[in-house]
Amino acid sequence: MSSQATSTGGAAPEAAPVALAVTGISKSFAGVHAIRNLSFVARKGEATALIGPNGAGKTTVFNLVSGVYGVDAGAVTVNGVDVTHMPSRRRIGCGIARSFQNVRLMDHLSVLENLLVGQHIRAASLTDLLTPYRLFPNHRWRQEARQALADNGLERYANETVSGLPYGVRKRVDLVRATLAGASILLLDEPAAGLNPSETNDLRDHLNLLVAQGLTLVIVEHDMHFIDSICSNVVVLNFGEKIAEGPLSVVRQDPEVRRAYIGDGEN
Amino acid sequence: MSGYLTGVLVVLAFNVIAAYAVYLPMAAGQLNLGIAGFMAIGAYGAAFLTNEYGWSMLAAVPVASAAAGLVGLVIGFPVLRTHGIYLALATFALGQVIAAVFLNLEVVGGAAGYTLSAYAGPYVVFAAAIGVVLVMLYLSRTRFALYLTAVKSDPTVADLMGISVRGVQVAAFALGAMVAGFGGAFYALHYNFVEAQHFNVLLSVFTVLYVLFGGAQTVWGPLAGAMFFTLAPEALRFGEQWRYAIFALFIILFMAIRPQGLITTSLFQGFRRRSNEASP
Amino acid sequence: MLTQQIINGLMLGAIYMLVAVAFTLAIGVLNFLNFSLPGLFMVGGMATYGFIRIGWPWFFAIGGALFLAALVSLLVERLAYRRGEGAEADVPLVSSLGFLVLLENLMLVQYGSDQQAFPALLPDMNLRVGGLVIGIAQIISLAISVILVAWLSWFLKRTNAGRRIRTVAENRETAQLLGVNIRRLVPQLFVASALLAAVGGVLFAVNYQQVSPWMGEGPGFKGVAAMIIGGMGSIWGSVIGGLLIGFAEVLSITFIGADVVNITVYGLLLLILIVRPQGLLGKPPAREKL
Ligand SMILES: Nc1ncnc2c1ncn2[C@@H]1O[C@H](COP(=O)(O)OP(=O)(O)OP(=O)(O)O)[C@@H](O)[C@H]1O
Ligand SMILES: [Mg+2]
Repeated sequence: MSSQATSTGGAAPEAAPVALAVTGISKSFAGVHAIRNLSFVARKGEATALIGPNGAGKTTVFNLVSGVYGVDAGAVTVNGVDVTHMPSRRRIGCGIARSFQNVRLMDHLSVLENLLVGQHIRAASLTDLLTPYRLFPNHRWRQEARQALADNGLERYANETVSGLPYGVRKRVDLVRATLAGASILLLDEPAAGLNPSETNDLRDHLNLLVAQGLTLVIVEHDMHFIDSICSNVVVLNFGEKIAEGPLSVVRQDPEVRRAYIGDGEN
Repeated sequence: MSGYLTGVLVVLAFNVIAAYAVYLPMAAGQLNLGIAGFMAIGAYGAAFLTNEYGWSMLAAVPVASAAAGLVGLVIGFPVLRTHGIYLALATFALGQVIAAVFLNLEVVGGAAGYTLSAYAGPYVVFAAAIGVVLVMLYLSRTRFALYLTAVKSDPTVADLMGISVRGVQVAAFALGAMVAGFGGAFYALHYNFVEAQHFNVLLSVFTVLYVLFGGAQTVWGPLAGAMFFTLAPEALRFGEQWRYAIFALFIILFMAIRPQGLITTSLFQGFRRRSNEASP
Repeated sequence: MLTQQIINGLMLGAIYMLVAVAFTLAIGVLNFLNFSLPGLFMVGGMATYGFIRIGWPWFFAIGGALFLAALVSLLVERLAYRRGEGAEADVPLVSSLGFLVLLENLMLVQYGSDQQAFPALLPDMNLRVGGLVIGIAQIISLAISVILVAWLSWFLKRTNAGRRIRTVAENRETAQLLGVNIRRLVPQLFVASALLAAVGGVLFAVNYQQVSPWMGEGPGFKGVAAMIIGGMGSIWGSVIGGLLIGFAEVLSITFIGADVVNITVYGLLLLILIVRPQGLLGKPPAREKL
């Protein structure tokens, strides 16, 4: 059912190596198919968009890739490692981190502490665990987290407790936390949702910077302008199936995509 | 120091140790309603080793606490598979089983209790309590404490961040058990007598109350809670009979009015902000 | 005398069953492990004793005790269950334990900590069936327990009010959308579970003819064990669990000794929690949705 003409659309002769490969995965919840035989790849140093109407299964793809649920069939490969049967906790160690559609920060912790949790995978030894870093205001972990906040214009929130912050700020902190795992692949679930236009602009610049630095991004987003300015390749889902793939300009002409989006306000 | 004051401070020391034994797992989101059982292991362990094998306190206390920690570790693995209410109940049942086992163990006196010959004076007990507080303060400055909170507030996300949720939980539970055993050991050595009936549900419950009253969000909460409930009744000196009734009533009303406990993170944040404003 | 023991176990189990059903009502519908119930069990027995002592006829005394238990339960709902913002998840549970301590110590202040002799309300008659001895009190307790539980089960299944309760148990939001008045229903449930526990306490007092401020702890905590073993939120689970615990207790007393009862009962509970936390008839919890 996937469209043939566009499947090689974005990949020029010297295609970048594959960072994330999803091969024929399926998942059903209580007999309802959420994802059906889905395959796509995200190439190193590129941003891939995952789009589709509400309930198409985009978040479920992220959940399957990050291991929140196991797949019913198919395989997931991250940086050449088959993670299909790896426990969710270990996958981040293969270089893949994610953010959450409905922000999932630890509410009682400060922004800075949330970011420190995000660093865990790079500070996981017993010594790291028992280092009394809080006795040192300028410990390198804190410096690094503060720097990451500054890069996103969020430094003044460093010591605020998360629960009291506006949604837009929490949304961006959620993203910053994902970047601190030192992963080469980031799965970002609607990173621009709930941000105002100027915040969205900043976010776009930041994401483009990450791509320029060689990171691989997979972005779920409803805002097509946003996607257009970052992603070179777009995968379109509907009812858990891929209905098109290719550059946005090509995909948006696809009749099946137009049909899927009728009433969903495409553009 | 007068004998009376010393006596009160010794009780305070034991309550503080017990409070931290409950606090550690609670910081990771686990309600341990069986802490008295782990105290019993420490108490009987220290009593048995000093009595029957003539061990010195210096050797008996660590081994007895380690034994409590080990039981926590071994039982913690299967028990911590359960969550929420199930976990609380499992620890509750565990406490009952441990106390009942000691009640039937004739080598340590059974229901008649068990008398010790080794003795730990009040200053040893104070030192032990201060030691526990210092270790807790140290831990609160580390990633370990951070992960306790992380695992408590969002285990799914903590797991996706690569944190071993199970590992953190079991560690907190076993460490708490060890601290309880440590306190129990000194309890036996100080009072020179242990009986299984002392380590009952109420002891566990009261200890949990100290912690919830003080607040489980920060490392200072358990200390505040234990201090309040040891010292306030002494200061007020209301009738012996009414003591627990008033205690319980107070706790219920307090929990209804301020369920997050006395000392909270936002309290600290408030202080910090004010001091920042004072010296920009 | 195994048959005799089985009958004794059945009687004891019937009382645990009542307590277990009281717990399961609170936990299944309100998701609240209400540790004040052992206290209300004790209030059932102790207050009946107290009212009889000041000269009330026994049926008024029992009525008064049940009324008192219901009243206290409404307080529990107000102060322990309705939880404020930012509370630790464990606060209601621990607060309800506070109520247990409070009730026990108030009774202690009033009546002292000793066992008190509870007057024999029923003629000391026994039925003898082929060598078995069954007391009248035992039979009446069993009958009352079984009728209460059977009626409750029927009520929840067949009446509109029962259906509303089950909707709330399944999903609060849905229930609210369907127009169930939760604010009214919750106190009613508190009263219902308090009455079950208090009736258990009255029956216990009538059967064993003694009461004390601590009488709620043993049967109360065993009722919790029974509920878990049967499966939280399932009435028939509580019935099975209660009977199992009753048998386990009587059999371990007969074959090993009275001291090991706690090991058997709570060991069984621990085992179930480890091997099959949802209990014999319970459903396993679903995994959270991101
Ligand atoms: N844990 C789950 N249990 C049952 N059904 C689920 C679960 N997770 C997802 N689903 C179902 O799978 C389908 C896809 O959901 P998903 O959240 O992936 O959609 P989405 O594309 O991210 O939508 P949105 O744009 O609204 O975020 C939906 O029908 C949803 O109800
Ligand atoms: Mg989604």
